[in-house]
Amino acid sequence: MDLDVLLPKLLCIAWLLPLASFTLIVFFGPRMGKKGILASYVAAGAIVTSFILSLIAFVSWIGANGVAAPGGHHGDEHAAVSPLPVDASNSPSPMRLASLADTHAADSHGHDEHAVHEVHKPVAYTGTWYTLGQFGDLKITISYYIDALTVCMFTMVTLIASCIHFYAIGYMHDELHDITDTQVLVTKGYRGHGHGHAGHGHGAHDAHAHAHDDAEHDDHGHGHSDLPPPPAGYDYLHRPGRFHRFFQYLSLFCFSMLGLVIAGNIAMVFVFWELVGVCSYFLIGFYIERKSASNAANKAFIVNRVGDFGMIIGLMALWGSLGTFAFGDVDGQQGLFSQVRNSAHNYELRTPDGMVLQAASDEIARGVEPTAKQIETWRSEKLGYWLLVIAGLGIFCGCVGKSAQFPLHVWLPDAMEGPTPVSALVHSATMVAAGVYLVGRFYPMFTPEVLLVIAYIGLITLFIAATIAITASDIKRVLAYSTVSQLGYMMLALGIGGWSAGLFHLITHAFFKSLLFMCSGSVIHACHTNDMFRMGGLRKKMPWTAYTMLAGCLAIIGTPLFSGFYSKDAIVAQAVMFTKQNPAHGILLYGFAGGAAMTAFYMFRLWYMTFSGKPRDHHVYDHAHESPKVMYVPLVILSVFAVSVGWTMPFFGLSLTNLLEQARPAGEIGTGVLLPALSYPAEYLSHAPSVHLIATLIASATAAGGFLLATLFYGVHKLDAADVKRQFNPIYYFLVHKWYFDELYNFIFIKPLFFVSSIISKIDKNLIDVFIDKLAVGVKALSRVDDAIDRYVVDGFVNVIGNWTYSAGRSLKAVQTGKLRQYVMFIVVGTVALTVIMQWALAAE
Amino acid sequence: MQSDVAFLSLTVFLPALGALLLAFFPKDKPDAIKLASLAITVAVFAMTVSMLMGGDSARFKAGEAALQSAFSVDWIPSFNIYYFMGLDGISLPLVVLTSFTSMVAMGASWPIQKHVKAYCILFLLLETGMLGVFLALDFFLFYVFWEVMLLPMYFLIGVWGGPRREYAAIKFFLYTLLGSVLMLIAILMLYFNSDVRKLTPAQLETARIVLPGDAKSVDAIKSEKNAVHTFNIMALQSLGQTTDQFDREILFGKSIQWWSFVLLFIGFAVKVPSVPVHTWLPDAHVEAPTPISMILAGVLLKMGGYGIIRICYPICPDAGYDLAWFVCTLGVVSMVYGAFAALAQKDFKRLVAYSSVSHMGYVVLGIGVWSMSAGNGYNAAYMAQGWNGAMFQMIAHGISSAGMFFMVGVVYDRVHHRNLDEFGGLFARMPVYSGLAYVVFFAGLGLPGLCGFIGEVFVTLSVWNYSKTLAVISAAVVVLTAAYILWTLQRVYLGPEYKGPHGDHLHDMDLREKFIAAPLVAFAILFGVNPNLIFKYMEPTVTQSVEQLATWTENVKEPRLEAARAKEAKEAEAAAKHAAAAIVPADAAPVEGRQVRPAADHVSAR
Repeated sequence: MDLDVLLPKLLCIAWLLPLASFTLIVFFGPRMGKKGILASYVAAGAIVTSFILSLIAFVSWIGANGVAAPGGHHGDEHAAVSPLPVDASNSPSPMRLASLADTHAADSHGHDEHAVHEVHKPVAYTGTWYTLGQFGDLKITISYYIDALTVCMFTMVTLIASCIHFYAIGYMHDELHDITDTQVLVTKGYRGHGHGHAGHGHGAHDAHAHAHDDAEHDDHGHGHSDLPPPPAGYDYLHRPGRFHRFFQYLSLFCFSMLGLVIAGNIAMVFVFWELVGVCSYFLIGFYIERKSASNAANKAFIVNRVGDFGMIIGLMALWGSLGTFAFGDVDGQQGLFSQVRNSAHNYELRTPDGMVLQAASDEIARGVEPTAKQIETWRSEKLGYWLLVIAGLGIFCGCVGKSAQFPLHVWLPDAMEGPTPVSALVHSATMVAAGVYLVGRFYPMFTPEVLLVIAYIGLITLFIAATIAITASDIKRVLAYSTVSQLGYMMLALGIGGWSAGLFHLITHAFFKSLLFMCSGSVIHACHTNDMFRMGGLRKKMPWTAYTMLAGCLAIIGTPLFSGFYSKDAIVAQAVMFTKQNPAHGILLYGFAGGAAMTAFYMFRLWYMTFSGKPRDHHVYDHAHESPKVMYVPLVILSVFAVSVGWTMPFFGLSLTNLLEQARPAGEIGTGVLLPALSYPAEYLSHAPSVHLIATLIASATAAGGFLLATLFYGVHKLDAADVKRQFNPIYYFLVHKWYFDELYNFIFIKPLFFVSSIISKIDKNLIDVFIDKLAVGVKALSRVDDAIDRYVVDGFVNVIGNWTYSAGRSLKAVQTGKLRQYVMFIVVGTVALTVIMQWALAAE
Repeated sequence: MQSDVAFLSLTVFLPALGALLLAFFPKDKPDAIKLASLAITVAVFAMTVSMLMGGDSARFKAGEAALQSAFSVDWIPSFNIYYFMGLDGISLPLVVLTSFTSMVAMGASWPIQKHVKAYCILFLLLETGMLGVFLALDFFLFYVFWEVMLLPMYFLIGVWGGPRREYAAIKFFLYTLLGSVLMLIAILMLYFNSDVRKLTPAQLETARIVLPGDAKSVDAIKSEKNAVHTFNIMALQSLGQTTDQFDREILFGKSIQWWSFVLLFIGFAVKVPSVPVHTWLPDAHVEAPTPISMILAGVLLKMGGYGIIRICYPICPDAGYDLAWFVCTLGVVSMVYGAFAALAQKDFKRLVAYSSVSHMGYVVLGIGVWSMSAGNGYNAAYMAQGWNGAMFQMIAHGISSAGMFFMVGVVYDRVHHRNLDEFGGLFARMPVYSGLAYVVFFAGLGLPGLCGFIGEVFVTLSVWNYSKTLAVISAAVVVLTAAYILWTLQRVYLGPEYKGPHGDHLHDMDLREKFIAAPLVAFAILFGVNPNLIFKYMEPTVTQSVEQLATWTENVKEPRLEAARAKEAKEAEAAAKHAAAAIVPADAAPVEGRQVRPAADHVSAR
């Protein structure tokens, strides 16, 4: 089968299997085996099958497109080309010729895998599955766009998801039984589930409400006696387990995430964007009884919707002017990418005709003929360019929400309310990386100005998050802020032109961060607390967890030979190139370096506090134990990938970066239109040995610095953290309160929102309705007046006339004597009188 | 045609016949009465669905834009009033929605215990009125059905409602009456200014005024000495779009069609309801019994949107073009206002009612968008998208809002209160109910994969080319919607403990309730995943209507605007000349100066 037929089919099945599993569990979940245990096997089976299918797709992709980056490898060229990219971009043609002849294998260079400077269009298979709606030539579809990036993402997502499914079978084990949740108090005697269990013995481990995270692990069986009784008048919540529901949401999430990755148009991305959002909402709020969990779930969804608001604006700008959402060309119709960058113009960024025309609509309405030449003139006048900028910024807004970038980063740490497998899968490896993925996917559409915004947002995010991570005491929150910070790195990388560097880091990070989260979950599972200040010395109790986590820590700080090293190195190299070319933006490099140092510091602070030294809380330590096999085997698998995913495979020459290069968007980023001083170096230039040497030095030095500091503080205790805390008290509290973002947003957004809504509700009640009611009262009063007029004026008049007639008749009755003579006299008198009057009247005339 | 007359009439009047039959039922058998009523609503639903069955021989074929199964029979010929009914892509989905909602609402009527017989009779009469409104194509007939529907509704709220039912019923009645009075004025204005003689034979045939190929009748009409007035909606549409029949100025320099548009629009906006004529809705909903709320939200509100699509725009396109900004602004204001108001509510049902105001704002917005002009090369596709989106939103809202009101009703039947602060913990107590409610509320939230998303997103996307400001504001509503729906879900379903009274009555849904909720949930998912199930019937007609308006814009409106611009430019030029001649200081005539400049550009660009 040809790849263009095979891949869509394979990936479509891989995508739909989790949906099938979700549907099955929805209908039969509670009846699946004892307490729904089979639900986990159904979900795990589905995702493992998806992984196998993705792997087949991955292999067949390599079979068809090779393992080399397109255009071959140009390690030699770099030496010849001046490291200053200006020269290089001015003379692209000789290099293109050279590239055709080049046959170097990528694997011959460890440090410097690839380079692409030939303008080429990436291989991508596009097509449509079905149409949601069509109006004229406007069409909104469910379609696919499959390139090397899609295939890599599919494999990564399904692999990590498979590991996490197995891990979760162990982790969520408690949900198979009834559960006592010590974080939730209910009124004594409340029968929440018709079971009437409330009020008997409780199996939990300590009084500290906050200490009890996630699942109430009852590995030791129910009925611990060391649990203090709940406050008077209350009981701890007792509820049935919800094992199957967890896997039901997990399957729905996998479906949504894969849909997002395979999406062939930005509208479909939006559809699955929202769906992963709602899965995240359900998973964060998995412990529905906990107020903190449902608050966090709401916060996640609503903050994401704020980002989506921006994304919709981006969608509208694209739709209104270009009339398509498709990434690639489908069925002969030009997609977004080729409207912005086409081969006729060497894939340079040009404002598409549609945007030019829309910006010029006033002139066209005035009768200017939109000829091709006229459009060129308008284009050169930058007409419509701002639409492209708005579209880019709008789409990026969505990414800011989903990838928890400043200023919408506030939801992710709270999202740690969800069970730890969720944090590992949804809130570190996949969903939150979707924003970065979309920036990578949508890359051809971003103007240099937008990219600069992305870079700065990434920088601010990575800095803020890293500072907060330093002071956090909750093991999962440290990792959450670390995730935010690392996502900032990826955004920064993409924003400074490091397309493959950013996406490379996305994938390496997915492995080591999910590993770290799962290790932390294993620790929490053992200690029943999130608080690092109550851990310590756990290395001996749980070696598998400790050393796999060490691998994760080494990877994240960028230790040589670990995957994080390669990806961070690539980013630093690009930052060096970028700041060299744009000295005004030097802070992007310094901020990056500072962030790297902080990362090393807080990661090893975490590791030392948890695993090394002496136990701080013997109660916790005594209960700690290594997790079951079903949990630590996935840790080992992931740690293998966390170490090696950055390597170039010997013999095959297979490396992730080369594969990603196959999907690199065609064309240079170029120079800014609104900011002419801004110019982007091509990414391959950063692979020059001279640049790489600097980059490696910077990355290693900062990481080593942070590591050493952490060792001094927490490893060998040469420095006293408490002392530093005392000396920098204001800063410490500022950081502990997470820069007061929640308080700030509460003050500037939430309060005003409710204020406005109460005002509007009052307008209805006190203005419109009062007006209507008053109107009714007025009409009623008017009708009373009308009634009075009827009664007294109209009727009165009639009555008066009537009375007159009556009294006249009455008085005339006296005349009716019945005497003939009298009558004759009346007639005579009358006639005479009449005659006289007539005479008089005529005379007067 | 004979069979069409019989079939459509039977569809419309079957409920009324049933009501008549029920009058002879013994009063003391409420369950039999309810069952009989349910049987009738099921039969009507079956009939409406059967119109789609049978492939090529179906009464209503997918993919056709024209009127189908239409017929026109003399009713009061001396006033040119006909019994004219028919189906097209605009009315058919609403007819099916009506019969569906009525069926489900009848199922939800079981808890009604008071005067069951009267309730069922009024309910069935209401259904006849609603179906009639959507099927009638004669304006007079339309008006009659419109009023027929009003009275049963008044009694259903006023007798079977909550504590403030009388206030709510009167408020509903007066608001709607105001709308219908204005509508009546507009109808008469249009009637007395219409003249069928101006129509081409083809148009007469489309309007079913003459039979196809009946040249004699055409000649007869053409040879009439005096104007031949008409109530025929199709004929009025043709008159509005292809003749200058309604362009005569009558008041304040505005034309007949401008005034008709405004009067009709107010009438329909009350029904939609748009801010600021919406305050009848929360009261009516809060007081009405659950099934009546379902009908109210599911069907009655759609009549407003239907009227605007069917009557306002096609008959009065000129006014529609000029007032598009007003209609769109009203839509956006309703969206924002309803969402904010919903956020502040403490009563579950009132909150859902305000969400209806917000969601129906999308309908008004989508219809109002007139996104074609010389500037975008007369691309009517965006307007078609807006209209289709609005129509879809009506169906989607019919399902999701009926579902939401039903969900509120389920819990109200158990605990007899609706105070949002006194719920919580329902997920644990009523898992099936809560799961289904979540789907329905997420459909209201506009989650992709559920029906609410399609309408909202199509409407929102179509606005950009009309007005970027309105587009941005309408996009912002997604945040507010998420906020009020999620907050509600949290307060009602999540949490450890139910905090209100009658907690021991919180048993999960029974079979009857599941049978009602299941189709609502199923359709919410089905239409969200595959909107083509609706679009294939709806889109051809809607798009055809839009294309007719597009042709009109290009052929009639643009030249008018062009002429007006030219005239303005000339006047401005003259004024400038005059000003220059009088040697007035330059800054004394800034207004003229500003007007001249674009005109000058215009000339030089040519």
